[in-house]
Amino acid sequence: MIQNLSYSKTAQHSLVLAALGIGLVLLGLLSITIGAFPIPFGHAVSILLSQVGIDSGTFTEQEANVLWQIRLPRIVLAILVGGGLGVSGAALQGLFRNPLVEPGLIGVSSGGALFAVIFIVFGSSFPWLGSVFGSFSLPLVAFIGGLINVMLVYKMANQRGKTDISLLILAGVALTALSGALIGLAIFYADEAALRNFTFWSLGDVGGANWDKVKIAFILILFPSLLIINQFRNLNALAIGENEAFHMGVDVQRVKYIVLFMGALVVGVGVSMTGTIGFVGLIVPHLLRLSFGADHRLVLPGAFLLGAFLLNGADLLARTVVMPAELPIGIITAILGSPFFIWLILHVKKLNS
Amino acid sequence: MLDAKHIQYYIGNRPIVNRATIQVLPGELTAILGPNGAGKSTLFRLLSGELSCKQGLITYNGQPLKGMKTRQLASLRAVMPQHSTLTFPFQAMEVVSLGLMYCRPNDPKMILKEVMSATQTWQLKDQLYGNLSGGEKQRVQLARVLAQIWEIKATPRYLLLDEPTSSMDIAQQHHIMQIIQQLKTRNIGILAILHDLNLAANYADKVLLLKQGKVLHQGAVRTVMTPENLQGVFDYPLSVQSNGPGAPIYISSLPSSATSSKNYTYKLA
Repeated sequence: MIQNLSYSKTAQHSLVLAALGIGLVLLGLLSITIGAFPIPFGHAVSILLSQVGIDSGTFTEQEANVLWQIRLPRIVLAILVGGGLGVSGAALQGLFRNPLVEPGLIGVSSGGALFAVIFIVFGSSFPWLGSVFGSFSLPLVAFIGGLINVMLVYKMANQRGKTDISLLILAGVALTALSGALIGLAIFYADEAALRNFTFWSLGDVGGANWDKVKIAFILILFPSLLIINQFRNLNALAIGENEAFHMGVDVQRVKYIVLFMGALVVGVGVSMTGTIGFVGLIVPHLLRLSFGADHRLVLPGAFLLGAFLLNGADLLARTVVMPAELPIGIITAILGSPFFIWLILHVKKLNS
Repeated sequence: MLDAKHIQYYIGNRPIVNRATIQVLPGELTAILGPNGAGKSTLFRLLSGELSCKQGLITYNGQPLKGMKTRQLASLRAVMPQHSTLTFPFQAMEVVSLGLMYCRPNDPKMILKEVMSATQTWQLKDQLYGNLSGGEKQRVQLARVLAQIWEIKATPRYLLLDEPTSSMDIAQQHHIMQIIQQLKTRNIGILAILHDLNLAANYADKVLLLKQGKVLHQGAVRTVMTPENLQGVFDYPLSVQSNGPGAPIYISSLPSSATSSKNYTYKLA
C-alpha cells in the first residue's frame, strides 16, 4: 500500500514536470513563428536544425536573422526571467511561510529597480565598477538593491520565528514607496544622456533581449535557481515551523541566507534586464499547490517551468495584441495577476485551514 | 544520558531558569510539573537546543550540546512543541515523512507505517493536515516526531514532549501515554511537560517539580508527589491517595471553599 502511495507520488511529480516541460517547448516553438514578421513553422524548424548542421529545408536569410537575432534570445530570456521569478516566489513563500509573498510585493523588485536606476544615472561617476564587472555591473547592482530590501522586510516582519503578515505587506508597501520616491529623485538629478538610458531601460521589457543578456541571465538566474530548487527538503520542513525544522536537523539560518540571497539575485538580475514584472512569483506557486499539493520537491522546479511558460505566454500576447506595436509585458502580468491577488487575499484563510 | 547541570537562563535580570540540574535516563519517562510561568517551556527549549544558556552545561550522552551540529543533534533527540501550524496544504503522510528527512533509515516506509499505526493516524494519511481536528493534528505531529527516533539503535536517544496530550480526549491521552511507555524499550529517554498530575503520577518514572525557575523536588513519583510538595509548588491544597505501592495514585483538588476548613487532611497510604 505504502509502496504504491509513494510510488504514485513520485510518478505524479515526474509526470507534471514532464508535461510542463513539453508545454514550454511547444509554446516556445509557437512563439518563434508568430509575430509582426511571421515565419512559417517548417522554415523555423529548418533554421534551428541548420544551426546544428542538419540541412532540411528552405528559408530566407531574413527569416533566419529575425529568428536567430530577435525572437530566440527574447524567448530564452523570457524563459529564464519567468522561471526565476516563479521559483524565487515559491521559495520566498516557503521561507516566510506565507502564500501572499511575492518578490514585487515585498519590495525586492523595487529595490532592484532603484539600484538599477542609480547605476544608470550615476554609473558614470563610478567608472571602476564597469571596468571590473563589465556587462555584469547593472545586474549585480540591482541584486544588491533587491537584497537590501528583502533583508529589511525579513527583519521587520519576522519576530520570534513567526512572520507577521500585516507587517510584511506594510513593510513591502513602505519600501516600494520609498524606492519609488528615490527613483524619482535619481531621475531628477539625471542628465540628458542618463535620462535617455533610463527611459530605454524602463521600457525595455523582454523586447530588448540579445545573446549577451541571455548569457548573463543564464549564469546569474539559472544557477541560483538550481541552488534554490535544491533546498526543497528544507523548505518542506520549514512549512511546519522554524523551531520544528531545527529539531529535525535543518540548519535554518543557512536555508534563510541561501533563499534570501539567491532569491534577491534572481529577481534583481531579472529586473535589471526586463524592468519590474509583477505577479508571476505569486500566481505560479499557487496554481501548483492548488493542483498538485505543497511538496516543494514538485513546487520549486514546477514553478520554474510554469513561470517560464507564463512569462512566455504573456510576452506572446504583449507582442501580438497590438501588432506591429508592443505592450510592455508588465501590463499583461498585472492585468492577469491583480484580480488573482485580490481573490487570494479573500481566500487565504480558507486555503490555510 | 541527557544531563543538564546548573543551567541558568535570564531575561534581563530576571532568572527564568535558575540553576536547574536534570538527568534524563534512557528507558525512563521524566515528567516536568509546575504552575504556569514556572519556566517549564524555557527549560524545555534550553534542553532541546533552541535556546542556549550562558551558564551551566547540557550534555547528550556525554557530549556537550553547545557546538553540536544541528543534524547530529537531530539524530539524538526529537522534539514535539506544544503547537505547530502548517501554512501549506500538506497531506498527513507528507508531514510524518518529514521526520525522516535527515535520518536515512534502512526501511523508511516500514517506519512510517509503524509510527502512523501506533499513533492511529494511518487511516488519515491521505488527508490534508489542515482539515484534521486538533487531536488528530497532534497525533500526526507525534508520529512525525516518533519517526525521527523510531529506528532501533545502540545509542540512547531522547524524546522531548511539551504537553503532548493537551488537545486530546481522555482515551487518547492514555493511548499516547501508552505509546510513550513502549518507547522506553527502544532505548529512548523521554522528558515530558505534563499538565495533568494524574497522568504524570501514573505513567512517569521520575517527576520534577519546578517553581519560579527552580527545581524544588525531583525523584521517584512516590517520594516527590506528596501533598506537601505539590501544595508548595502549586499554592493550592491537593490530596494524594493510593492503596499501596503498586496501586494507582489519585491526585485531586476541591473548590477552595471546601478546602479552607482546617479539618481537611491528606492521606497517602
